[in-house]
Amino acid sequence: MNNIEIDRLTPLAESIAKARRKKRYAAERRFRLYGIISISVAVAALCILLLSMLIKGLPAFYQTQLTLTVELNKEDFSDNGKIDATAIEEANYAVFLRRALRTAVPSAQSRLDKRSLYRLLSNGAAFNLQQRVMADPSLVGKTLTLDAIASDDLDQYIKGHIGSGTGGRLSKKQGIWIEKLQKEGVIKSSLSTDFFVAGDSREPELAGIWGALAGSLLTMFITLLLSFPLGVAAAMYLEEFAKKNRWTDLIEVNINNLAAVPSIVFGLLGLAVFLSFFGLPRSAPLVGGIVLALMTLPTVIIASRAALGSVPPSIREAAFGMGASPMQVVLHHVFPLAFPGILTGTIIGAARALGETAPLLMIGMVAFIVDIPSSITDPATVLPVQIFLWADSPEKAFVERTAAATLILLAFLISMNLAAVILRKRFERRW
Amino acid sequence: MNREAANISEPNLLKNQIAGTRAQNPDAREEPSAQSAEPNIKMSTKGLKVFYGDKQALFDIALDMEEKSVTALIGPSGCGKSTFLRCLNRMNDTIDGCAIDGNVTIDGQDIYDSVLDVVELRARIGMVFQKPNPFPKSIYDNVAYGPRIHGLAHNQKDLNSIVRGSLERAGLLKEVEDRLDEPGTGLSGGQQQRLCIARAIAVSPEVILMDEPCSALDPIATAHIEELIDELRTNFTIVIVTHNMQQAARVSQKTAFFHLGKLVETNTTEEIFTSPRDERTQGYITGRYG
Repeated sequence: MNNIEIDRLTPLAESIAKARRKKRYAAERRFRLYGIISISVAVAALCILLLSMLIKGLPAFYQTQLTLTVELNKEDFSDNGKIDATAIEEANYAVFLRRALRTAVPSAQSRLDKRSLYRLLSNGAAFNLQQRVMADPSLVGKTLTLDAIASDDLDQYIKGHIGSGTGGRLSKKQGIWIEKLQKEGVIKSSLSTDFFVAGDSREPELAGIWGALAGSLLTMFITLLLSFPLGVAAAMYLEEFAKKNRWTDLIEVNINNLAAVPSIVFGLLGLAVFLSFFGLPRSAPLVGGIVLALMTLPTVIIASRAALGSVPPSIREAAFGMGASPMQVVLHHVFPLAFPGILTGTIIGAARALGETAPLLMIGMVAFIVDIPSSITDPATVLPVQIFLWADSPEKAFVERTAAATLILLAFLISMNLAAVILRKRFERRW
Repeated sequence: MNREAANISEPNLLKNQIAGTRAQNPDAREEPSAQSAEPNIKMSTKGLKVFYGDKQALFDIALDMEEKSVTALIGPSGCGKSTFLRCLNRMNDTIDGCAIDGNVTIDGQDIYDSVLDVVELRARIGMVFQKPNPFPKSIYDNVAYGPRIHGLAHNQKDLNSIVRGSLERAGLLKEVEDRLDEPGTGLSGGQQQRLCIARAIAVSPEVILMDEPCSALDPIATAHIEELIDELRTNFTIVIVTHNMQQAARVSQKTAFFHLGKLVETNTTEEIFTSPRDERTQGYITGRYG
């Protein structure tokens, strides 16, 4: 046996101990540093993502407009002097706007120049003017000053994303006119709600997310309507009433697996069964909702089972002891106590469904839909798909719109998750 | 596990204790020998066997429980007292894998008969558990729950009087009458247990089963509950499982001693604690094992 004992008081031993101590402290510090680095990287990535979205997307909420003095001459409304509703509706409002624009820029004389000048206006400006005069026919014959929506080229030029002259999208002449108009204060850029209330459009300056948002809300409504009752009822049966045998084990394993299935598979299921076999309308929130409900169902069932299982058995025993029937025990006692957990699971599942794109592409919610969907059988699209479509579009103005729509989607997801946390805190009851 | 009896080596000491208890308690029931009529049997079991899966927990238990009296079940841990108690109101039905054989009757009627509704049975036989488990509702709703689901009150006034009456009999009304809307879980342990007792008696059961009701409570709360049990036995049949032999001596009229799933001995309380017939009983009450 080795009888060497290191006398703790010798200087050699002390220096060895000191060196060990230093190494140990350094190792501890390094370990903590790794953790800090990891968190910093994650937070930095998140910040970069959000910041880039914000920088790219905020300009989308600003709309460039031209302040024009428009003369609504009576002769331009009808040939025979009779100005009725049809005449007002069918008048060519673009003519009024172009005339006003020519007045503002007298130097555009040739046909080519005029055509080039007109491209600074959006097609939607004429439509807006038409709507305004139809709403107030007394405007016929008057001169009014209005803000006309600029075309996306002008809008992007003002925002500095495209240039003029060689290599730029606008011609040199257009650049000169724009400078002149800017000096005269004709061009202005202001916050506009059009992005929120307009539907999709081929013209980027007129494109808004309201159609996609309405589609998303309708789809979410169907999803929650189907997945919440079915999921909770299934979880209740499995947790409270089902006997523990091989069949229930099999079901449980399958539910857990379904929660991990790639979402596009549910899209294929929707295509094959709901569209081809049952013949439900393509692109409708109804089908989208059913597909997403099937996708969310396993998540809801798993979360609900966990919530129901966490209710202490003493509550059930007390209820049984009072002579409550099994249904009364579950509905009066177990469910209210499990409700916060069930709600959280459902909202988180719904938040995931809100951001799903792949399954909805498969069932056709990828078409270009201009009208705002008003019922669950109208063709519609959803916000993530809208983002996907805009990201694909060539016009420069769609870049900022894609980013802005992403911001809206993120805002929805964050608020849904926040709602889940707040609701859970509010409904939590201690036992 | 209660080892208070460990210090007592003389059965006579217990006998004096019992005598002392009875002297302190002037409302105590008269000695059984002074009873003129044959006591009514409220509940009885014959040949009761209970299996948890393959393991047998109770072996041929035959016990009669008299009406309007307190029967105590004593015995070391794991001897099957709680299992037996839970058979009496079919609470073992809620346990997976629990199989019951034999005969349990209330007023002569078999409670495991398939035509009998278990829900109605449990309204006739109430239960109070070891750890107080009030519902996470208000005090009022806790007591009102039973009458509500069994339809015992015709209107709000009826319900109010049932609730207040039960709370009063449980000795809790004075302490909570100004805060009936507050959650039942906000009370102290002793108050919670009295709330559970009030909840049990609100449906006017015929039998009350108590599974170690005082084991989670402090001595003062325990004393309250024991007083309460003594008052309640004039109207209800009570079966109480207890680890505490002194408690059994204080509150019960009849005691049954369980050991390893078998009913070893049953007798009047005084007889069991002063002159036990079986040596296992003797060993337990003198604290040789616990």
